[in-house]
Amino acid sequence: MDLLQSTREAFSLLFTGNPELWRIIFISLRVSLIAMLVVTPFAVATGFFLATVPFPGRRPLVILIQGLLSSPTVVVGLLLYLLLSRAGPFGSWHLLFTQEAMIIGQVIIAFPVMVAFTLSAVQGADPRAHETALSLGAGTTRAALTTLLEVRFGVMASVFNAFGRVFSEIGCSLMVGGNILGLTRNIPTAIALETSKGEFAQGIALGIVLMSAALGVNYALAFLQGEGGLK
Amino acid sequence: MSGPLLQIDGLRKNFGSRQILDIEHLALYSGESNVVTGDNGCGKTTLLRIIAGLENAEVASYRFQGRPLSLENFPPRLRQEIIYVHQHPYLFKTTVAANIGYGLKARDLRKTERDRLVNEAMEWAGVAHLIHVPPQKLSGGEKQRVALARAKVLNPKLFLLDEPTANLDAEARRQAIELIQQMCLDDNCVLIACHDYELINLPRMRRMILSDCRLLLQPTTTIKRQVV
Repeated sequence: MDLLQSTREAFSLLFTGNPELWRIIFISLRVSLIAMLVVTPFAVATGFFLATVPFPGRRPLVILIQGLLSSPTVVVGLLLYLLLSRAGPFGSWHLLFTQEAMIIGQVIIAFPVMVAFTLSAVQGADPRAHETALSLGAGTTRAALTTLLEVRFGVMASVFNAFGRVFSEIGCSLMVGGNILGLTRNIPTAIALETSKGEFAQGIALGIVLMSAALGVNYALAFLQGEGGLK
Repeated sequence: MSGPLLQIDGLRKNFGSRQILDIEHLALYSGESNVVTGDNGCGKTTLLRIIAGLENAEVASYRFQGRPLSLENFPPRLRQEIIYVHQHPYLFKTTVAANIGYGLKARDLRKTERDRLVNEAMEWAGVAHLIHVPPQKLSGGEKQRVALARAKVLNPKLFLLDEPTANLDAEARRQAIELIQQMCLDDNCVLIACHDYELINLPRMRRMILSDCRLLLQPTTTIKRQVV
C-alpha cells in the first residue's frame, strides 16, 4: 500500500466520523488531560518549594528529579505494573488495565518534567518580585502565587513539556493499560498496533490526530502565556 | 513625647567574616522624617531591609510600637505597617492599577473601596494617564512614582525608601522628591537611604550617617555637596 493512498484513506476515516477512531482519540485526550489536571498543582508547588526553601538534601533531590526527566516510560510502566498486578502491593485495587492505571502512569511521568521546569522558572525569577509581594503585605501563599504568575511563561512551558511527553508516550500506556479497544487503547498504542498489522491508513489518521491535538492543546495553553514572554 | 514607633538595640550584621552593621541603638518616631547617608556598600540598603523584615540579623531587641518582635518570625501583620520600596522598584507584569492595588487586595479590601483608593493614589502620584501602559514599558521615573503610590495607598506607619531618586533624570527626580516631601509632611515615619542632597536637606529631616558599621546622628545644618 503506497503512502499517498494510505493518507487519503486516513482522511476519509477521520472525516466520515469512524466511531472506533474517535473513541481512541477521546481516550487519549481524557487520560492525558486528567493526568495533567492531577499533576499540575502538586508539581508546580514542589518546583516552587525546591526553588525557594533551603533544606538538607535539597541538592541531591534536585539532581534526582532532573535525572528522572530521561527515565524511559516503559520502566515507569514496568514498576507500576508490578505494583498494580494481582500479586503486587496494590493488587487489591484492581487498577491494572484501566484508564486509571494509565492516568497514574502519566502522572508519574509528568511529575519530574513539571517540577524541573517550574524549579528553573522560579529560580530565574527576579527576587524583588517575591520581596515586593511580601513587603506589600501578601501572605506566604499569595506571594508564592504572585511569583509564579510573574514567571508564568516558564511555568506554562513546564505544562507544555509535560503534556507533550504524556500525550505521546506509549511504553507505560501499553504496559498498564493493555491496549484494550474501547477501554485503554489510546492514540500511540493504536498507531503501534495498526502499523504492526499493516493497517497504515488507521495509523496515519491517528498520527495526524496526535499531531493536531498536541498542537491544538498547546495553542490553547499558549493564550495563558500572554505575549509569549517577549521582553 | 510618646515612645518611639520603632526601636532597635544591639543590631549586628555580618556577610561571612565581613561586618556590615554594628548599631547600638536606633529609634524612629511617628511624624518624623529620617535620612541615612553613607558611602556605597556601607550597609544602608541592608539596614532598611533588616527593618522591613526582609533580611535576618543579630538583634538584641526589636520593638515596634513598644512591642518586642522577632526578626526570624517577622509577623505578617507588621508587613502591613512597614513598607520597603526598592531602589529599582519591581512592578508586577499586570497593570499600573493592579500594581498600586496589590497591597489593598492582600488586605482583602472590597473592590469598590480598592478602586477608589487606587484612583486617588494614581492622581496623587501623577500616573493616572499611564493606566493603560504596561508596567514594563514605563520609564524609571514613572516606575518610581507608581512604586511610591503603591506604598502610599497602604498608609503604613513606616516608609523605608531605598535611594528613591538614584538613576532618575532631572524632571523625574523633581517629581519623586515632590512626592517624598508630601510623604514626609504626613503623620507617618519615613526613613530614606540616599546620597541626594536635595532630599537630605529637606526641612525637618533628621540626618544620620552610616560609617564604619555605626550609625551616627548628624547636625541639622544644611549639608553642602562636597567637591572632591
